[in-house]
Amino acid sequence: MTESLNVTVDRRDGLAVIYTEGYINNQGGEEIARVAYKLIDEGFKVLLLNLGGTKIVNSIGISILIEIIEKMIEIGGRLGFCCLTPTIEKTFHIMGLAQYAPIFSDETSAVAELKA
Amino acid sequence: MSAERSGPGSFGPSQPWGELLALAEDETGERALLERLLSLWCANHGASAAALYLDRRGAVEQVAAVGRGLPVLLAEESLRQAEPGRVRLPGGWLLFSPPGLAGSMGNDPLPLLLASVLKSARLRHELKDQQFQVNYRVVELEALYDVGLAVSATLDLDRVSEEILLRAVSLLDARRGALYILEDGRHRLDRTFGGEAGRWLGAEEPALAAFLAGAEAPAELLPGARYLLGVPILFENNPRGMLVVGDKESRRGVGPFLPGDRRTLGLFANQAAIALENARLHLRALEQERLEREMQVAAEIQRRILPKQAPPLPGFQLTGWNRPAREVGGDYFDLFTTRDGVALVVGDVTGKGIPAALMVSTLHSALHLLLDQIGFGPALLERLSRHILESSTANKFITMIIAEVNPRTSGLRYVNAGHNPGFLLRGDGRVDELPSSGVPLGLLPGSRYEMREVPLEPGDLVCLYSDGITEAESMVDEEFGNDRLIDLLRRHRDEPLAGILDAIRTEVGEHAQGRPQGDDQTVVLLRRDPE
Repeated sequence: MTESLNVTVDRRDGLAVIYTEGYINNQGGEEIARVAYKLIDEGFKVLLLNLGGTKIVNSIGISILIEIIEKMIEIGGRLGFCCLTPTIEKTFHIMGLAQYAPIFSDETSAVAELKA
Repeated sequence: MSAERSGPGSFGPSQPWGELLALAEDETGERALLERLLSLWCANHGASAAALYLDRRGAVEQVAAVGRGLPVLLAEESLRQAEPGRVRLPGGWLLFSPPGLAGSMGNDPLPLLLASVLKSARLRHELKDQQFQVNYRVVELEALYDVGLAVSATLDLDRVSEEILLRAVSLLDARRGALYILEDGRHRLDRTFGGEAGRWLGAEEPALAAFLAGAEAPAELLPGARYLLGVPILFENNPRGMLVVGDKESRRGVGPFLPGDRRTLGLFANQAAIALENARLHLRALEQERLEREMQVAAEIQRRILPKQAPPLPGFQLTGWNRPAREVGGDYFDLFTTRDGVALVVGDVTGKGIPAALMVSTLHSALHLLLDQIGFGPALLERLSRHILESSTANKFITMIIAEVNPRTSGLRYVNAGHNPGFLLRGDGRVDELPSSGVPLGLLPGSRYEMREVPLEPGDLVCLYSDGITEAESMVDEEFGNDRLIDLLRRHRDEPLAGILDAIRTEVGEHAQGRPQGDDQTVVLLRRDPE
């Protein structure tokens, strides 16, 4: 099992996709936040978090993701999630993340929708 | 930063009240309002940067800032003492730079405004936190519900175990976890998350028992973890394993688990117990199914071993019958043509079921092969005994009587290796026995046997049988016995052999009075045609 979170980024025209692999906990969440805020500083206003490599997320990780969503709203940007496990998708719905950040089943449809 | 300098302490009608009010009315403009106020404060006090911090959940987080160089998070320890460049506000802090500026607010109303907005921010954050906690309880309940569904929907223990461990780790905000299954008095590591764990732990170790009761964890459990929580996996109060999590996370790092966490972990352990029990029962059912399939195959093999019909024997009638007590049995009979006539065999392997059936199969193959090589006689049984002794486990042996009838001479040669004596019913009603001349096959090394021969007169009836006939017990534990069998043979001697077999089956059954058949039953009958 993956112990720590690996984050990679794919910068595209007007949109950046953040790929995660591993546990989104305090450390993992902070790493995602660091990458997201760096992308915001670079001028990206549309971010997609592809959590296809993540099977587990805890409450600290969720609170950090909420902060990133709040930040995106504050700057007038958009954030979406894709490729979630059913468990994580259900958790995001209950925790209210889905209310402010749309959830997509796959990356292609997510990119198309977020760029529209 | 834009600075509208009006001089330290001054805050008059020239200030942008309208703009501030507009920002205050905007529900999403809290940060903008704070930044505007900070900007005004900087202008009034000559600061290049200022930031506002909120005490929240034990951390001190920045909620707004203007200018650069001030930290996003503050360590609580660093705020215990008053230092230049910081002002304590109700529920938070104001930091500014350069720190050499006067910290006194004089008659400046800005800090009051900042404190007021800060209080509002604090209330909003508390509300958000409470909503977060409520939502997370729902997540916890849903997780338990989902795990319960998974446990009832699948017998894949591997999948369920992973689900349980991952859910427990995430819901308890743990950094690590491990699931152990009790095997042979020791806890075997089934899976781990977030790092290494001890592979085997003695279930009886006092340190482990103490840990599960709430004491310190043994060092080898989750090496490197500072805070551990573990609960036993119990099914009907019987230990089945152990669920362990390590290092509870917060925004500031890791710490000990909370009292309620033990209960939550226990709920997951309960699900694990059900999953383990389901898996155990499923494996047992599969094993039973496999055994039944094997038993059916063995029964089929045994049916094929038994002769389908008696070989032709001019001047004689010949038949045989067998009924195992279980699906497969340890009795054996055979009727086959030899060089000089026809052989009749009845054997009885110790034990029942599959092991006995395997011995029967071995006996059948060896008998036919050796008979071809050695021919009928004592040497055949001596060689057969050695083969059984070498190929069977301890305490396995076979009683067997083998006879050969020669239609030309009407003589019956036989060798009895520890089997019940066969009966030869003469025409005048006398009964001669065909007694044993040696120990059962495979019992002792170097066994010797003796072949005997008796002439068969017209109408003579030979009965070979297994002890399942004569030792069939009634409800009062009375055996059918040799006398009843001999009496039956006398009463039915003139009937066709099939009729005699029917009589044996009927009378033995009536004697048993419905008592389940305890042993395999076999009969072989040979009669010389009357003149």
